[in-house]
Amino acid sequence: MSEPLFELRGVSRFFRRGESIVRAVDGVDLTIAAGEFVALEGPSGSGKSTLLQLLGTLDRPDEGEILFEGRPLHTLGDGELAELRLNAFGFVFQQFNLIPTLTAVENVEAALAPHGVRGDALRDRARTLLAEVGLAERETHVPVHLSGGEQQRVAIARALANEPRVILADEPTGNLDSKTGADVIELLAGLAQAHGTTIVVATHDASLAARAPRRVAMRDGRFAEQPVPA
Amino acid sequence: MFYLRYLRSELLRRRLRTALTVAGLAVGVALVIVISGLSRGLDRAQKTALNPLSGIGTDLTVTRGVQQDTSGFGGPGGGGGFGDVIRSNQSVLTDLSKLGKPGSHFVHDFFLPGTQLTFPASQGAAVDSLNGVAASAQGLLLIAEHQEGVVPKIVANFKTGGQTYQIRRNISPLTAAERAAFQQCLEKNGATFGQQPQSQQSAPQGQNGFGGGGGGGGTTRRGGRGFFGGAFQQCLPARLRQFRGSFTTPQQTLKQVLDPPQTNIKTTPYTIGGVDQTQPDIGLVTRAQVTKGSYFTSGGKQALIATTYAAKEKLSVGSKLTLNGTTFDVVGLVSPPLGGQTADVYLPLKQLQTLAGQKNAANVILVRADKGSDVKQVKAEITSKLQGAQVATAQDVADRVSGSLVSAANLSHNLGLVLEIVAALAAFLLAALLTLSSVGKRVRELGTLKAIGWTQRLVVRQIVGEAAAQGVLGAVIGVIVGVVVAVLVGAFGPTLTADSSNGSATSLLGSAAVRTAHETLKLKAPLSIGVVLLGLLIALAGGLLAGAAGGLRAARLRPAEAMRRVE
Repeated sequence: MSEPLFELRGVSRFFRRGESIVRAVDGVDLTIAAGEFVALEGPSGSGKSTLLQLLGTLDRPDEGEILFEGRPLHTLGDGELAELRLNAFGFVFQQFNLIPTLTAVENVEAALAPHGVRGDALRDRARTLLAEVGLAERETHVPVHLSGGEQQRVAIARALANEPRVILADEPTGNLDSKTGADVIELLAGLAQAHGTTIVVATHDASLAARAPRRVAMRDGRFAEQPVPA
Repeated sequence: MFYLRYLRSELLRRRLRTALTVAGLAVGVALVIVISGLSRGLDRAQKTALNPLSGIGTDLTVTRGVQQDTSGFGGPGGGGGFGDVIRSNQSVLTDLSKLGKPGSHFVHDFFLPGTQLTFPASQGAAVDSLNGVAASAQGLLLIAEHQEGVVPKIVANFKTGGQTYQIRRNISPLTAAERAAFQQCLEKNGATFGQQPQSQQSAPQGQNGFGGGGGGGGTTRRGGRGFFGGAFQQCLPARLRQFRGSFTTPQQTLKQVLDPPQTNIKTTPYTIGGVDQTQPDIGLVTRAQVTKGSYFTSGGKQALIATTYAAKEKLSVGSKLTLNGTTFDVVGLVSPPLGGQTADVYLPLKQLQTLAGQKNAANVILVRADKGSDVKQVKAEITSKLQGAQVATAQDVADRVSGSLVSAANLSHNLGLVLEIVAALAAFLLAALLTLSSVGKRVRELGTLKAIGWTQRLVVRQIVGEAAAQGVLGAVIGVIVGVVVAVLVGAFGPTLTADSSNGSATSLLGSAAVRTAHETLKLKAPLSIGVVLLGLLIALAGGLLAGAAGGLRAARLRPAEAMRRVE
């Protein structure tokens, strides 16, 4: 087993819903190695999305600690976390989360610009990425003029823009028909293979999870069974 | 650059939101500019109208008003009491017969000083020599009555004659001598007169001689009444042949109420000022106040006309003005400041003195002090030197002005600043609220940006940049709208009025002429770079602060939390 990329120790995340407290993630231990393709499985509300956000530093745990490449994330400030997200992580969301006023190519540029890429280099790199996901023809369209599958492809191109070490995909096929969903999964798997990128996918789609070499089932914020190493 | 393109896309692709924000900002900025402009316009108009003396370089005006004092200012014979007012204004008690022959057409201008009594020119020189007086000029301000019409005829008709008088008188009987002569005459003519000495004696006076003669019978040789009648007539004493007497008719007083004469005399009051044209920079009217044409040039019969009066009487530069047979050329139109000693028509002082029969007389001295601080001292000096003198400072004069302008200016003083602050606050709040609302709707988008690696600073910068762009756009449009409105106010704005009264007098035929100056000023909303910049600054500050606050609030959220927000 290669070096652990993520190490989670007793990680919990609670939410207050009125009077009660919901333990979205409840004392989870998990290790993910670099280059793994992991599927977090579970029904809606099982805590997989929350766990994914904790991995991606979009949120902080209330308990426990997360180490990324050996660095305890809770010791990092907002600026360092932003830098980490910029350089190490790529996100794909169920709702695509594209910037509605930007074209396909500009949405990809949005992830490249903070790296200091400018001018033609910026545009060329974004176009290349769009071409990689098969959307070269649609680069000037704004999200509202793109289909769900196309929007998710743009989101994947954006996630790949910074050549991340990890791609965190939250229900990437949730809003897509099965064929398009399958295409998206193929795309992610192919990229992981080509670039050696670690991929963590949260999904309730068993067929998608079946594509992952490692599957982790979640229920009520905990792992349903001992995670099986890849 | 990507960030600028992103900014542009945000503004252009969210047109409605951008337009709303920009319009809100523009309205706020325009409000600030217009209100501030109006406030300044009113202030300026007020300064023009209410600060007349300082406007013409005069600090004090010296006049001689009506008072009980019986000595001092005014020189010999001039007490300044009510008697003086009547004496001064006597010329107006018209002797209608002097106007011309009854029925003829006449035009005449009467000049009277009203309650602003005249004084000899030497008094002016006394003021000029006082300490602290930098310059002084004399003027003569008169109330003029222009009268035109037909000299009235007064006709009374009497009808006499047609009366009957009755008179009764005793006539003395014939004397003995007359009787003898009468008899002789009758006999001579062949008629006998009866011998009736008794009857003569018994009724010497009781019988009419004629009856006695006629009816006495006796004998008549020839007979016949014709003969007797002819002789009788012939022989009567002369005193009885022709009656002569005198009588006096009873005394009678004829009385008839006469209707007042019918007349079509029209009276037009106006004011006229005599200007010391040797001092064109201080005086009733100065060179600086000429709005059209020119100031008096030396020589010639020239007149300057106040613009308002010129408009009313349809006079312009080049018009002729005839006053009691003397024709004056209108050489200029003037706009003297309100509240001061103003008139409708201005003539050179000497010419007005001649015209009004006020040789070497003046009734106002305009004084400029050496320094502003000397004004009080000079006022005290003049008051003590010239008893009865009324000395008005620029402030006193300003206080006399009334009218919509004053109300408006007072209003603007009290309310202008408040409105300006309210408008500025409104602009600021509008900018802030619209920007905050705009940012609030983009929290999820901002969370996404953070998720893909944007730092908090970068997110805030982007939002502030957008707010700044909207602020600039709103401010520019607001400035344009504000300027256009200000210009429109200047073109179509309301007219403000200001009136100032100096004394009053009841004059010819009961028409009252008050020396009233009336000034109308068009309300303008002048703009200044400062105001425009203020508007820009307020909109920008509102937008930027709100953008920064909203951006920061959104950017501080953890990305997961931000993305949970539903747009």
